[in-house]
Amino acid sequence: MANMSLPCRSTCCPELTSAGLHMVDGRISLSGGGRRFEVHVPELQLDPGQALALTGASGSGKTLILEMLGLLRAPQDGTIYGVGNADLAALWQGGPRTPKLAEMRGRLFGFVPQSGGLLPFLTVRDNIALPQRVCGQPDPDWCASLIDRLGLGDQAGQYPASLSIGQRQRTAIARALSHRPRIVIADEPTSALDPASADQVLALFLETAAEQGAGVILSSHDLDRMDRHGIARRSLAVEAGPPVTSRLEAAPC
Amino acid sequence: MLIVSLAIRDLFRDRFFLICNTAILVGVLVPLLLLFGVKNGVYTALLEEMLADPASLQIDTAGNTTFTEADVAPIRDWPGVAFVTPKVRSQFDYVNVRATEGRRLAAALMIPSGAGDPTLPAGVTLASDRLVVSSGLARQLNLSEGAPLQLITQAEDRPRQLVLEAQVAHVLPEQALSGRAVLAPFEVLDLIEAFYDAYSLPDHGIDGTKPLEQRVPRYGGVRVYAEHLEELAGLQARLEERLGVATLARTREVEGLLGLGRNLTLALGLTAALASVGLGAALGFAFWSDVARKKGVLASIALVGVPGRSLMLFPMVQAMITGLMGLVLSWMGYQLAGRIAQNLFGGGLPDGAALTLITPGQTMGIGVSVMALLLCVSAIAGWSVQRIDPATVLREVT
Repeated sequence: MANMSLPCRSTCCPELTSAGLHMVDGRISLSGGGRRFEVHVPELQLDPGQALALTGASGSGKTLILEMLGLLRAPQDGTIYGVGNADLAALWQGGPRTPKLAEMRGRLFGFVPQSGGLLPFLTVRDNIALPQRVCGQPDPDWCASLIDRLGLGDQAGQYPASLSIGQRQRTAIARALSHRPRIVIADEPTSALDPASADQVLALFLETAAEQGAGVILSSHDLDRMDRHGIARRSLAVEAGPPVTSRLEAAPC
Repeated sequence: MLIVSLAIRDLFRDRFFLICNTAILVGVLVPLLLLFGVKNGVYTALLEEMLADPASLQIDTAGNTTFTEADVAPIRDWPGVAFVTPKVRSQFDYVNVRATEGRRLAAALMIPSGAGDPTLPAGVTLASDRLVVSSGLARQLNLSEGAPLQLITQAEDRPRQLVLEAQVAHVLPEQALSGRAVLAPFEVLDLIEAFYDAYSLPDHGIDGTKPLEQRVPRYGGVRVYAEHLEELAGLQARLEERLGVATLARTREVEGLLGLGRNLTLALGLTAALASVGLGAALGFAFWSDVARKKGVLASIALVGVPGRSLMLFPMVQAMITGLMGLVLSWMGYQLAGRIAQNLFGGGLPDGAALTLITPGQTMGIGVSVMALLLCVSAIAGWSVQRIDPATVLREVT
């Protein structure tokens, strides 16, 4: 891993530390049907244990940013991106399907997809243990602790098909945390839940992530819920084009 | 290996597709195995029936000719030759045989033989006083292995018979040699011919008109055995060219059977090739559509950090397990169908012959071929899997 000394381009934050996730001048460009859409992240910093919500209208590029942060989409040249001392932008130089890219994605990140993304042929317990097996670091005690913490004890031996949506999301959260990742990326993790369940699941998610020092970055439309849970917000503002550009607004100082 | 375990768990959870793909395999393989087994079984039975009679491999010079050892010796070194023996003139190859303790006489044909003669069972050796007799002769004279016998020859104008004492070394089975016959080393037949030619044989108390030392060895013909049926026609042509005489052999019969075998193999090979194309296409598209259906699941596996090159093993592992199940069930289906066919149609075959036959080596070859076919067609599905974008899980809400 290359040691990174990141230049600060933010007028608001005097210095970007390299302890958590940090991105400077991150850009993605999409084109199709004669139209171009650009997403620009001038700067982004997420410290260990911190939670940050990306907000914005549908189609503003929240998921694109999550994909870029989660090593699922290549940033454009010139993007500076790292977690800790790892230069993640450089991983794309070998192409999108290198084992190193997959390995870093698995090791550094946990994902909570909107759909849960659970494997239907594994039990709740095995789904939660999967990232540990991928990383080669089995830790059954930690899995049991997560199952207990997220109230999944009665469902541990069941398959996802027999779970409620709330139980599936709690399983997805446990899975995302099971290998103790540095960052957890959640794409509208509570949008499929009723309000009461959504608050309960989100609270559990944030508490558990904070306990293990994982940074959480999520996307959401629900500004009130973000505020209720004390999650810092960064919104995406769309500027008319061409090209249409969605820019992540500066962090509040 | 993680991906193998995931593939297996998915396969057995999604049993419907496993059953469908296995059924496709069994539906194609069982009829092919049965066809192959019947072709092998019937053809092998016909071949064994033909080979049970060593005369099928024999090439015999027709009529009486005169050869010297110089004519015959090089033939022994020809490729494809199992055994060569000279013959005496045909009128001198009959003797009377009597069991030493018995009173009955039986005329029998003397056949020159020796080590390498396919008529002789393995382990049986001949000597001038240890002879092999046909079952017909043994039955008529009540001879059995170890029994003493006498070869008695009477020639016109000779006051004494030539009587040769010997022992039965072996009694041939019925199908090996028909009629009444004695297999003896060529020297015994040569001695009898010398007796007919009026040479003196002092060792046997025979006074002749000529001393034996003056006799120049001459052969009345030659008999050659091919090592394999496939070599019979070529050997016969070469022998006729070399000796300049006509020969007798079952070449037409043998070539007819071998040609039938080749044609059946060709027809079966074409059928198997066409079936393989169909099977490969059916299973290839099945595996491909299966991974397309499971794109979200595979993307979820990729999302947690499994690299594409490992992920491509997912459909290939499933194909291998499907293949193994298909092969085992097909083999069981073939065995069952083979037994039914044996009961229904096996009556026309020689005793003990199987209507269907697939050797262990052929079984292994079929298994490897099927697995290789499945590996190839599933690799196409594997190629499409390693291109699945893990971001699909975030983008597509199910």
